[in-house]
Amino acid sequence: MTRPEQLKPETQDLDFQLVRRILRYVQPYLWLALGAIVLTLVHSLIQPQFALIQKHAIDAYLVPFERDRSLDAEALYQGLLTVALGYMGLRLLDFAVQYASTVAIGYLGQNVLRDIRADVFGKLQKLQLSYFDRNPVGRLITRVTSDVDAINQFITGGLVSLINSVFLIITYVWIMLRVDWRLSLISFTVLPLMYWATNFFRGKMREAFRRTRLEQAVVNTQLNENISGAMTVQLFGREARSALDFDHANRSLLAAHINSVQWFSLFMPAVALLGQLAVALVVYFAARFLLQDEAAGVVAGVTVGTIFAFVQLTQQLFQPIQDLADVFNNLQAAMASSERIFEVLDEEEQITDRPGAATLGQLQGRVDLENVWFAYDPEVTADTPDDDPRWILRGVDLHIQPGESVALVGATGAGKTSVTALISRFYDVQRGAVKVDGHDVRDLKQHDLRRHVGVVLQDVFLFAGTIASNLSLGNPAVTQAQIEEACRYVGVHDYVMSLPQGYQTEVRERGAGLSTGQKQLLAFARALLQNPDIILVLDEATANVDTETELRIQAALQRVMQGRTSIIIAHRLSTIEGCDRIVVMRRGRIVEQGSHRELLAQGGYYSRLQQLQYSGQRRPV
Amino acid sequence: MDRNLSTLWAYLYRHRRQYLIGIVAVTLSNAAALLPFYFIRLIIDGLGARVQGGSLTAITLSQIGWYSLGIVLAALVSGALMLIMRRQIIVASREIEYEVRRDLFSHLQTLDKAYFDRSRTGDLMNRLTGDLGSVRELLGFGSWQIVNIAASFTASLAVMFALSWQLTLVVLGMLPIIVGALYVLARMINARHTSVQEQNSVIAAKAQENFSGARVVKGYALEERELADYRAMNLELLRRNIALTKVDGPLRSFATMLLGLAFGLVLLVGGRQILQGGDFTVGMFVQFVGTLDRLAWPMLMAGWITSVTQRGLASWRRLVELFDARPEVARVPAEAVRPVPVAGTVDFRNVTLRYGDTEVLHDINLHIPAGTFLGITGPTGSGKTSLAHLLTRLVDPSEGRVELDGRDLRAIPTRQLRDVIGVVPQEPFLFSDTLANNITFGLEREDLPAIPTEVSVLDVPAPPLIPQKPDEDQVRRAAELAGLAGDVEHFPQGYATLLGERGVTLSGGQRQRTAIARAIAREPRVLILDDSLSAVDTETERRIIEGLREVSRGRTVILIAHRISTLRHADTIAVLEEGRLVEQGSHEELLALGGHYAELERLQSLSSDVEREEDGDPVAAPAPTLAGGTP
Repeated sequence: MTRPEQLKPETQDLDFQLVRRILRYVQPYLWLALGAIVLTLVHSLIQPQFALIQKHAIDAYLVPFERDRSLDAEALYQGLLTVALGYMGLRLLDFAVQYASTVAIGYLGQNVLRDIRADVFGKLQKLQLSYFDRNPVGRLITRVTSDVDAINQFITGGLVSLINSVFLIITYVWIMLRVDWRLSLISFTVLPLMYWATNFFRGKMREAFRRTRLEQAVVNTQLNENISGAMTVQLFGREARSALDFDHANRSLLAAHINSVQWFSLFMPAVALLGQLAVALVVYFAARFLLQDEAAGVVAGVTVGTIFAFVQLTQQLFQPIQDLADVFNNLQAAMASSERIFEVLDEEEQITDRPGAATLGQLQGRVDLENVWFAYDPEVTADTPDDDPRWILRGVDLHIQPGESVALVGATGAGKTSVTALISRFYDVQRGAVKVDGHDVRDLKQHDLRRHVGVVLQDVFLFAGTIASNLSLGNPAVTQAQIEEACRYVGVHDYVMSLPQGYQTEVRERGAGLSTGQKQLLAFARALLQNPDIILVLDEATANVDTETELRIQAALQRVMQGRTSIIIAHRLSTIEGCDRIVVMRRGRIVEQGSHRELLAQGGYYSRLQQLQYSGQRRPV
Repeated sequence: MDRNLSTLWAYLYRHRRQYLIGIVAVTLSNAAALLPFYFIRLIIDGLGARVQGGSLTAITLSQIGWYSLGIVLAALVSGALMLIMRRQIIVASREIEYEVRRDLFSHLQTLDKAYFDRSRTGDLMNRLTGDLGSVRELLGFGSWQIVNIAASFTASLAVMFALSWQLTLVVLGMLPIIVGALYVLARMINARHTSVQEQNSVIAAKAQENFSGARVVKGYALEERELADYRAMNLELLRRNIALTKVDGPLRSFATMLLGLAFGLVLLVGGRQILQGGDFTVGMFVQFVGTLDRLAWPMLMAGWITSVTQRGLASWRRLVELFDARPEVARVPAEAVRPVPVAGTVDFRNVTLRYGDTEVLHDINLHIPAGTFLGITGPTGSGKTSLAHLLTRLVDPSEGRVELDGRDLRAIPTRQLRDVIGVVPQEPFLFSDTLANNITFGLEREDLPAIPTEVSVLDVPAPPLIPQKPDEDQVRRAAELAGLAGDVEHFPQGYATLLGERGVTLSGGQRQRTAIARAIAREPRVLILDDSLSAVDTETERRIIEGLREVSRGRTVILIAHRISTLRHADTIAVLEEGRLVEQGSHEELLALGGHYAELERLQSLSSDVEREEDGDPVAAPAPTLAGGTP
């Protein structure tokens, strides 16, 4: 069912279609991006200057004095002082530039991250419930977390680093050639070697890393199972087998790690060695040229300062070369993630507002289901034959008058919940129509519709926040007085006040700490504050509540129903008895309707169902 | 040294050789890494001296060639030593990680149900992965860096001092400022990093809440508010991330700048020395600057090392907590008593069981003769499962005793006790392994080598690879009895089918029947089925029960169930309510008694009438229980 995502390749080739789409997210911050690029450029122009200044200091002030002690030391020192101060000033400037560019890139990346997240999250808000039925929550969370992060990495770690590296390489090559083209060419001979070595080792290390991750996953799975299934292992006396299997997995992980260490331990020294090889070549040839020039009696093109400068320039040039080897991997790694994200963004919204959909003013509260055929399976269409087992509702006709209260009764899977879901338009029907006050729900704005149709779920879903914010649901128009009034009305006010922080008490994860009964009463209060014209109550689970709470819930429910069209999926006999009409459903059809008395008198399905539940409830415990 | 550290020391001590070699290698490597600049100095000074000295060569081309070769050789030696270090210290840290994981695993195997009930799997996993990782980082990267910082500072400063004590004093004057600044930055980065992580968790929690509550969000038309909330949270994340970037992003360039400023000063002071015409040469200046440059990385690391150490030690304390956990149910070792054949008579004598202040079972007296079939029923929370737990010694009674063949369970070797009892738990736990291996789970332990603990991995050869070889006939027989064989025929790989995440997902009924097959395959003297047929339809249930009666002739069967159709086959039925034994007798006797059992029977026949109205749907609806629930 759920395809394991780790089986998908982690990287894939650069897809320019995707790249263009990602870049569209950079567009709003074009100026920021341009600024960052300019700063990067400035930095890459400054960076090689340090070696040049050092060269100048050595060649202009130190070496001449060493060669000819008769020179004016004080004048040379003054020159040196100017150079040193200039050097320090340039260092400060360079830091300022780098700082600014880092922060600019940070802003850029974070803003893009924020925008993509908002887009994905916003898209998910618009997608129909069936999308959530189909996709596990964990997968959706991955979309808005690690996948979005990968795109951020694409921009900051990939593109920016690419631009930065290219700039640096260009300026270094240019400056080195200008200082001494012969030495430059000699030092460049190591570059391809460096690039190749970096690529080679990075490839090996990535592979080693992939292996350690796989082995780690095996170890973690076994750990997890042996913790969750610890008692099973002990009951079946399987400790030795588990320990043996685990030791094999644990040793494989160790071997994978050691293998990875071996590549790592080769990589750093190899790169350092190549660096020193370049230095040695440069130093040797520089000295050689210097000797040759002097022997020839010409003004030396190569100086002591050149040697020193080249040693540094050569080493500094290696960094961007190495970075470049990484950039393409970063870019590729983001491709898979961005594809998954765009898949979400491109998902078809099946339940949308029709253009020019009507807004609702006050509702009377009439509800009509006209020959409704409905299935959750998206492959079922209006043309699917009537006897297909996938149909959930099979030609339901139900007409509810304003202010009427209707109880839906039937076994699990009879289609009760589907009826309520269709009135809220969580799903669209395949055949027939659902109408509210005579308007087809598909012609109304979803928001509007749902603001008038309140839903009370048995399991009140509490959001992280205070009790008050959970009741008002963030609607600023709801006052504290109204909240308290609603809570008094359903009889939960005293309980809330007994909490240390009253209405400002923080609700823990999914309302842990509150009892089922209290949660249900809060759900009623929440529905009252919304003041819907039609209310749907899904009273499904059989909760273990004490008699007193049970009575409170009954009373609260009666009050919530007053003056509204109410459709209730009820299991409590007293609730059912209190409704104007009882609709009995079976296998997607309405089989009986009428008042409690009428149906009992009929002695049909309802009467037996009722007898069963009634005796169940009245049994003294 | 406190106990936490001494336990960690024990692991380190077993790898002392690797650490010693590694430390020596790091020290030498740092010294060798300083040589290239020494050669560069020789070349530069040679070139300078040549001109100064007139026309004769103070340095020849071949000398330059040798010095250049020296640069490469020094790098080679330094690199080789660094390689040795990594292969000693880093490998040792990985080996210790393996050993700690191995020892923790085997320790966890000795802990009892009470412990696993108390601790959350996520928390245990966190400790075994995250905390262990932090400890390993301290032992590997951390200890390397500590040595590295010490060695590189010592070597560099020694060289620098030899070159010019005045310049070294300038650097020493700046060092505390640089290291101090980097330390402060590292602390700020840590704090801000934590605050970013916290906000990330908040955002992930919001997404989790929103996606799982999609029905409510849509039902109350909260989409816009949710999006606004989410946006606000992300804005806060952006703020925190930028705050982090401000201290974290330019860390390296900050260190470079500080070193650059140091260079400026060195240039001034060193230049002055050269211009004074002393012994200080340009070559020495270049060597000094080059050596100073090598301090950049250790200085950066010095800021980090405290947090790596703190984190590692805190994590080790959490691991020691795991090591310190002890089971409440004391196992009886196998050697304690000689195993005797078991007939299968079970007795509960005045058994009371309390969890904390709550009494779960109260003064239970129950005699189950060998070879009989006992049914147990009662509402949720009435203590049925606790009876099963007592019998397998997952818990021990608070008062009274449980006996097998007249012997107190606490006197029977735990291994032998569990060998003769087969359990099918309420929610069977199956492993990500083949179906056959799941069915013959735990049937071959005798021949397996034990994994030694608290020894170095270097001293223990890898245990032989002994794949599980399930007896095919045994597997098939058990599967047939459990009513699973028919399903397996539809699996392309039959009994070799892999279960779990990477394999097939079994339905609830298939899981239960696999668990039944697993218990039957052990051919236990006492078989306990804890509500194990709830997800199986009535027809299959009937077949399984018949099969069970067939194999269990001569075995004691204890069956916990809600359905009368399941229970009626039992020789005796015990009804529990709120931890007390309220009714006991055969199906007919209890019906005649007209008590709880009779009431349950009446409700269920009514319920099945209603179900029959549903056109003979083969999947049974959940039966009403004594708790007074509804279908």
